Amino acid sequence: MPLPTPLKGIRVVDFTWVRAGPWAARWLGTLGAEVVKVEWPLNLDTLRQNRFTVPPGVEPGPNSTGQFADTNANKRGISVNTRTDEGLELVKRLISVSDVVIENFSSRIMQRWGLGYEQLKRIRPDIVYVSMAGFGHTGRHHWYGTMGPAAQALSGLTHLSGLPDAPPAGWGWSYLDDTGGMYGAISALTALRHRSATGKGQHVDLSQMITGITLTGPAFLDKSVNGRPARREGFPPGNRTVWPGAEVVNNYRGPIAAPHNAYRTSPGGYNDWATIACLSDDEWRNLVKLMGSPDWADDRFDTIDGRLDHQEEMDEHIEKWTQTMGKYELTEKCQAAGIRAMAVQSSQDRVDNDPQLRHRDMYVPMDHPMLGPWKFQNAPFKLSKSPARIANPPPMIGQHNREVLEDLLGVPHQELLDGYENGIFWPTTMDRYPYIEEALR
Amino acid sequence: MTSANGNQQDGMDIGGAQPADLSLPGALDGLRVLEISDEKGQFCGKLMADNGADLIKIEPPNGEACRSFGPFLDDVPHRERSLSFWHYNTSKRGITLNLETPQGQDIFKRLAASADIVLETRKPGYLESLGLGYATLAADNPGLIVCSLTPYGQTGPWRDYVSSDITQMAGGGQMASSGYDDIDVPNPPPIAPGGGNSWHIGAHYAYIGIMAALYYRFLTGEGQHIDASVHEACALTTEGAIAIYLSTGDVVQRHTGRHAAPDMSPAIQFPTGDGGWLNTTRSGTNLTPARLKLLADWFDQSGMAEDLTEERYQDPEVIASENDHIVQVMKNFFMNSTLMDSFHGGQERDFPWGAIRSMDEIIGDAHLQDREFFKEVEHPELGRSFTYPGPAMLFNGSPWRISRRAPLIGEHNSEILQGELGLTNSQMLLYAEGGII
Repeated sequence: MPLPTPLKGIRVVDFTWVRAGPWAARWLGTLGAEVVKVEWPLNLDTLRQNRFTVPPGVEPGPNSTGQFADTNANKRGISVNTRTDEGLELVKRLISVSDVVIENFSSRIMQRWGLGYEQLKRIRPDIVYVSMAGFGHTGRHHWYGTMGPAAQALSGLTHLSGLPDAPPAGWGWSYLDDTGGMYGAISALTALRHRSATGKGQHVDLSQMITGITLTGPAFLDKSVNGRPARREGFPPGNRTVWPGAEVVNNYRGPIAAPHNAYRTSPGGYNDWATIACLSDDEWRNLVKLMGSPDWADDRFDTIDGRLDHQEEMDEHIEKWTQTMGKYELTEKCQAAGIRAMAVQSSQDRVDNDPQLRHRDMYVPMDHPMLGPWKFQNAPFKLSKSPARIANPPPMIGQHNREVLEDLLGVPHQELLDGYENGIFWPTTMDRYPYIEEALR
Repeated sequence: MTSANGNQQDGMDIGGAQPADLSLPGALDGLRVLEISDEKGQFCGKLMADNGADLIKIEPPNGEACRSFGPFLDDVPHRERSLSFWHYNTSKRGITLNLETPQGQDIFKRLAASADIVLETRKPGYLESLGLGYATLAADNPGLIVCSLTPYGQTGPWRDYVSSDITQMAGGGQMASSGYDDIDVPNPPPIAPGGGNSWHIGAHYAYIGIMAALYYRFLTGEGQHIDASVHEACALTTEGAIAIYLSTGDVVQRHTGRHAAPDMSPAIQFPTGDGGWLNTTRSGTNLTPARLKLLADWFDQSGMAEDLTEERYQDPEVIASENDHIVQVMKNFFMNSTLMDSFHGGQERDFPWGAIRSMDEIIGDAHLQDREFFKEVEHPELGRSFTYPGPAMLFNGSPWRISRRAPLIGEHNSEILQGELGLTNSQMLLYAEGGII
């Protein structure tokens, strides 16, 4: 018997698309909620079209992208045209038997559909409604659009990352699509606890862009409390805590420390790097010992101020040593000596070479109808009594119309068939996939 | 404020959501949380405390080590002046307790007996070694949820590995995805994005695990243990990197500030005339003939459209073949404009661009003011108040709030240990002198 899931009995109507929104609902599904993704093939989720993640040999199509698959696992999916009266009415019936509505459209789309919070509340008085617009639903720029990288720029996160005297490096991927998604799940779960305690639902008005600002607290206070200019010499200091020669000011990552950097390792490939951070003089002494107490590591480096004063020289010497071994060998040696170190791991490293992630079942195998044997990312926490689970692959578009519309909402079979002919459940201009025909028989 | 669907301010539509009744309690009102946490878990605790949980932070007698993280108020280093500690510990009460003494353990057990949640970030096995592990605590309180958030989790070959923010970002994949285009910085290293975000990433997932466990407890009455790992949380947080690898075997390339990609996708970060940088989000530009015309007409107002107003650009094939030229015209325009004009002008034309803002531009921003994002927090011992960041989301039925500034070291010892647990004056004296509190 599998263990029970924590969100047993929760039903989520998922209008989200692209990355942040679907990632939020994905976690509700992974925790055991029944998530119904509402789609329309003519406004295809862009992740269903992701050009980088169609495996070789797999026929391209909306059900064939790896990025959509992992982002939408543990959901069911229906295709309904909400621009028809009948379609909209069915969506409202679905909401009436659901607990959570979640969406990441522009700020006024749901109201235009007649599905703003006031209307949702009439359909289901204790509904938890989570909106995930870029700037939120409230505020003069509510209608501004964002994708993750632009949201990161606006939030101040991008400015905190990179080398001094160079453009901002920012983040090389859409951190705020990942984290915006986390906040969508956080919003829904927090509001569900409020509902458990009070019986009341609510609208949670999330802004993806502002999630980033809340992650800059120390930098924010350094400006608002101390008035320190955010744009200054030597900032941001790359992988170091203080750039060589710059004024010693905390860079908001944690304590000031040296060494604190990424170093090349053998054999010198694109991702052959490892990081080392010594947060105390003791940790530094351990590192010196591990390096074989070389002559260069003299008393100039005994204290943090000395190591900061001679950072360039120190880092050059350390890198000569790190280049004599592979990044995992370096990691193991350092950790055995109590030194904070870790290999820079690529995606390939995490999937294939990371013994810890393997031990913790981070990548869960499951068959996908188009992709074949596949791996899905597991939850990064183990709940001892009601674990998260990877239960089913993502929906093929419109895959669960019959289950949801007939079994859950009680739509008569003939009405369902008629809806396919009338453009309510599938565009009349598009061929239907074999699995849809199959399900209707 | 007028209606729920269109609040007006200065003639602008600023409202979307019904403003919360600020007298209402927060979403986690009524929950008692005990936090034994360093930099790994304090943000998870803040998320709970600002949402109304009664959170008691239990620190060693001299305070948590992260009280020594700068920056400090007026640049005067002091354990009560760490702005980092201030930010991450709002709305919490604080007591000091030496958990390595029998009396400290007894006090902790008494607190845990009536708590809903314990959040702890000590080394795997440490609390168990003191007789304070989940099994012991749950024996007296079966509904208790204990979340252990550690660098690599409670099990596995790396469970005892030590870490810092940068090493977590190395192992988690943040660094392998972040760096520069060669044109910006030749031969660039992988770069760990700033701000201490490995701890945020771990804290977000720990919070999700705790909320899920709370719902399960609502259904069944049962608590449980949560074994959360910063490493796994970070490994999950690199957008498409894992899916790309699983799909094609390709490994993402580092580049300057855009979506993850296995090839060198086009640069999207451009300088503006006033020294700023604009992020144009690769997938956001999406130039159809109609959108190109919007750009061309806009640029033409300042004589910067070059030939883009010509009719031949109303053809998707020409737009595709002339892409490099179009991008060059855009870059020229930005260099003759300002960061904020380029950003707002783009957004007004439905281009989802972002100005790379620093705190200099963010603090005081009008949209954030409309959302009442800037929170004044009193520091009564200093006789001053300071502006803190507010929440990313407006809980319109259960307002988020900073109920108090971060606790001073042992600030609530008397309130909680005497007021709640009934310790006597003489016990307080003996425990203070004995290094127990």
